[in-house]
Amino acid sequence: MVRRSGCGWVLLLVSVLWLIPVSVSAQEKLNAAVAANFIQAFTEISQAFERKTGVKVEATFASTGSLYGQIVNGAPYDLFLSADEDRPARLNREGAGERPFVYARGRCVLWSARKDFCRARDWRTALRGEDVKRVAIANPETAPYGTAARTALVKTGLWEALKQKWVFAQNIAQAFQYASTSATEAGFCAYSSVMSDEGKKGCFYRLEEAPAIVQSACILKRTPHRAAAEAFAAFLASPEADAIKARYGYQ
Amino acid sequence: MRSKQDTDINSVDWQPFYVTLKLAVATTGLLIVLAAPLAYFLAYARFPGKSLIEALVNLPLALPPTVIGFYLVVFMGPKGAAGRVWEAVTGGSLLFTFLGIVVASTLYSLPFAVQPLKAAFQRIDRRLMESAYVLGLSRVATFLRVIIPNSASGIAAAAILVFLHCMGAFGVLLMVGGSLPGETKVASIAIYEAVEAMKYREAGLMSLCFIPISYAFLLLVNRLNRGA
Repeated sequence: MVRRSGCGWVLLLVSVLWLIPVSVSAQEKLNAAVAANFIQAFTEISQAFERKTGVKVEATFASTGSLYGQIVNGAPYDLFLSADEDRPARLNREGAGERPFVYARGRCVLWSARKDFCRARDWRTALRGEDVKRVAIANPETAPYGTAARTALVKTGLWEALKQKWVFAQNIAQAFQYASTSATEAGFCAYSSVMSDEGKKGCFYRLEEAPAIVQSACILKRTPHRAAAEAFAAFLASPEADAIKARYGYQ
Repeated sequence: MRSKQDTDINSVDWQPFYVTLKLAVATTGLLIVLAAPLAYFLAYARFPGKSLIEALVNLPLALPPTVIGFYLVVFMGPKGAAGRVWEAVTGGSLLFTFLGIVVASTLYSLPFAVQPLKAAFQRIDRRLMESAYVLGLSRVATFLRVIIPNSASGIAAAAILVFLHCMGAFGVLLMVGGSLPGETKVASIAIYEAVEAMKYREAGLMSLCFIPISYAFLLLVNRLNRGA
C-alpha cells in the first residue's frame, strides 16, 4: 500500500510539474516570425534589444511564404519580419497586421564555396561555365530572394538558356546550404549570408541586375504585448540596429 | 457549378503525382529485391552481434527525416563519397536527379521492407526448407524456389508498405530533392509549395487526391494480411 501511494505521489508531482510553464520569470517575451535571410542580423539585434530593455525576443525563422501561412492560420506571433513588401501589406489589408514599415533592403548575390568560381569576368560568364552543373535558387514563387534572382536571370536571358542548371531550394537558407556543402557549384544567396563565417570561406558576385529586396515588417494585431512590440519596431530603425544591419550587408 | 469544378481540376498540375507514383514504383521494386536477401539473413542467420546489424537496418525509423536528408545531401553531392563514385562511373551527378530521390527513399524505407519480409520468412515451416535441402537444393535455390513462393503475402505486404511510405515521403525529399519539375518535384512537395505560394485551392485539390489512393492501398494491405 505504502509503495503504491508513493508511486501515486510521484505521478502527481510529475503532472503538476508538467503544468508549470518552463519559464516562471515575469520577464516579458516577444515572439517574432522572421524571414530566413535575416537570421544573423536578427539574432544580434534582439540581443541588443534585450540588453537594453530586458525584453526577450524569440524568433521563428522560415521562408516568408510559410510564415505568412502560419500567421493567417492564427499562429501566436507578435511581430512579422517579412522578406518582401507584399505579405505584410496583405496582412494589413486582411486586418491581421498593423501598418507595415520597411526595416531592411537586402541584395541578392551569386555565391560559391569554390574561390575559383569568381575568376570569371562577370557572374553571367561564371554561370555559363562548363563545370558549373547545378546552381541553387530559392523558389521564386515563394521566396523574395528567389524572385529577385529570377528577375536578373530573365533580364539577361539566362533563365531559359541555363534552365537545366537550376535546383530549387525551399528558402534562401537552403539555397546557401546547397551551395556551401558543394551539393551545387553555386547558389543565389542573400548578401547577408555572404557575411557569415561560412559565407566568408567562399566568394561571390553582386547581381546589379537584381532589384533590391525591400523587406517590410508589421506588428500583428493579436499581440497581447503591444507596447513591447512597438518598442522593438522602433529599435529596428535605431542607429544601433542600423549598424548591425549594415554589417550584414543590408541598406 | 460542375463545369467550374472541372476547370479547377484541370488547372492542377498533375506531373508531381506522376513523379510520386514513379518514385513509389521504382523504390518498391528496388527495395524488395535488396531487402529480401537481407531479411532472409536476419531471419535465419545466427552470429554474435546480429542485434547490432538489426538495429542499424531499423535506424531510419528512429531518425528524423532531416538527419537523413542532411547527410544525404553531403554524401550524394559532388564532394561526397557516393556522389564522387557515381560521377566517376556515370559521369553525371546523383543529387537532384530522379535516381537520387530513389536512393534516398530506398534508404529511408528500408525497415518498412525488411521487417514484414523477415516476419514472413520466419513463419515458413522449417520442415519445408529441410526437405528442400535433403532433396539437394542449394541455399540459393531453396531461397528462390521454396521460401519466396511461400512468402507471397508477406512480400506483397512489404511492397505495399514501402509503396505507401514513398507516397507519403516529404521531409527527406524536401532536403535532397531540389524540387525539379518532372524530376524530383513529388506531390507532397508540390502541395507544400502551393500552400507557400498561397494557391490554397490547388493545394486542397491535390491533398484531396491523396486520401482515397492511400486508403485503397491500406485496405489492400489488410486483405493480404488476413490472407496470410
